[in-house]
Amino acid sequence: MQTIPLASTLFRNMLLPCAFLALLFGSSPASAALGGDASSIGTGQTHLLASARIQRAATHVMHELQAPTGTKVREYLGNDGKVFAVSWQGPFRPDLRQLLGAYYETYLQAAKGRVARGPVNIELPGLVVHMSGHQRAFYGRAYLVDRVPQGLSTDEIR
Amino acid sequence: MRKAGVACTYAVLVGVACGSSGTGLSPNVIALPADNVAEVSVDYGLPGIGYLNGLFATVTVCVPGSTSECQAIDHVLVDTGSSGLLLLGSVLTLSLPALTDDKGATLAECTQLISGSLWGPLRSADFSIANEQAKNLAIEVVEESTYPMPTSCTGTDYGDPNDLGANGILGVRTSLQDCGPPCSAAVGRGSENPGIYYACSSAATDGCQPTAVSLAQQLSNPVAFFSQDNNGTIIELPAIPEEGAPSVLGSLVFGIGTRDNNGLGQATVIPIDLGAMFTTKYPTNGNAVTAFIDSGSNATYFLDSGTTHIPTCFSAKYPEVSAFYCPTSTQNLTARILDYTGQGGLNVNFGVANALNLSQYNFAFDDLAGPSGAPSSGTGFPSSYFDWGLPFFFGRNVFTPIEGEVTTGHAGPFVAF
Repeated sequence: MQTIPLASTLFRNMLLPCAFLALLFGSSPASAALGGDASSIGTGQTHLLASARIQRAATHVMHELQAPTGTKVREYLGNDGKVFAVSWQGPFRPDLRQLLGAYYETYLQAAKGRVARGPVNIELPGLVVHMSGHQRAFYGRAYLVDRVPQGLSTDEIR
Repeated sequence: MRKAGVACTYAVLVGVACGSSGTGLSPNVIALPADNVAEVSVDYGLPGIGYLNGLFATVTVCVPGSTSECQAIDHVLVDTGSSGLLLLGSVLTLSLPALTDDKGATLAECTQLISGSLWGPLRSADFSIANEQAKNLAIEVVEESTYPMPTSCTGTDYGDPNDLGANGILGVRTSLQDCGPPCSAAVGRGSENPGIYYACSSAATDGCQPTAVSLAQQLSNPVAFFSQDNNGTIIELPAIPEEGAPSVLGSLVFGIGTRDNNGLGQATVIPIDLGAMFTTKYPTNGNAVTAFIDSGSNATYFLDSGTTHIPTCFSAKYPEVSAFYCPTSTQNLTARILDYTGQGGLNVNFGVANALNLSQYNFAFDDLAGPSGAPSSGTGFPSSYFDWGLPFFFGRNVFTPIEGEVTTGHAGPFVAF
């Protein structure tokens, strides 16, 4: 199968400042973990076997994966090749253990003390996690505060 | 909102329709006890919990076919945001038969909530509430002692009653099943099946594997399986004072337009999409944000501080209060609710109180609000949702029809209030 790192390398070398490409993979892996590098793309799991779209900006590269379940996952890679943010939207929540990677346990600990019975709005030093929705319609995003590239508003991570 | 309360009392005295927000909605008459009416409460919740804005019902489950092996379970959260009955195994004393696949493996589910999951085997029970009954209903018994939670079941584990804050969830949302056709598709590479249902052949770590289940085996809104009054529900809660209330009693009414106590009347009908979403603008000329009504959310969760210019709460001792807004004084705001295409609609008033100034003796508040975690600016995928939680229900009758059921001549799925 065609790997996404190849595609992102391709786009890094293109002169178009903001290029879109829809690559339809018949079957293929999935997602990189928050804080991981591009090589962790492709170590994914069934849920996210997906078609992909790649958007290159001055500050980052965004990979959008459309799973057959209907859920979209976006991963934002900085120019150092590390994933500094992830987001998702769709009828089923993706595997948070996989998506949050090394930060999954941090998230679980922070969520333990929650008094809100609704959306997640966790803002830790270094890690922000937002989740909302209900059955068949989920949304979420997580980003590493210190690794968001200069010049990129966190509002753009969505 | 205190003023609204006074106006409301006057309106009730003169027999005029009255909603907590004073926008001429359907009459907020609370149905009296009847065969299709269950009492619900917003109260402190289970001992030691102190649940803010939890809407609870008592349900009865029996071993299928038995009228003696039954158990009433209180403080089950009434949730218009999910479908299906889930009960914590730690409170269930009955021995209920397991649902199995054609190889005899026990079916289980990793039920997805906003931020976490409920894991456990599917079992069959005769379910009743008020004078309505659904026989041989597929329910989830939330427990990890029979089969350990698979590593693919992620997020906060709400199997702990201290985290769930309730003995179970009674999901009465608009969609019939919690998953639908995708979970009936064969699992595997490239499948639309999200893999939330499992077949369990052993208690080993990998003893449960994702599987396809028929629609009939999926957790479903139990109301659809009643022999009557089975096309939806109405939640009816009275208006409450600005300072909140220690507890509130209301009615959960079964059926819409099936009896003289459950007609749609003059309620405003809001068409919804397949995800049970409509849209909301705040301010009323702001961007349309995807929105939903959810009795299982305990506050009005909308936008973020940058958009609303309302600060979130801060407490060094309780950092989790940042989930709520903390304006210097209660804000009385107006949003516009529109259908899922952004058409039609009406203005709705709502309050945003300082969540750190709430009375510690009260557990029902119509002005508890917080950020939903994302700004409204920009377009396209994704932005967060406008979550009309339980505060929306006070002083209103909120109708939640079940998809595909005939309800008083309205085509397509909708919610109404």
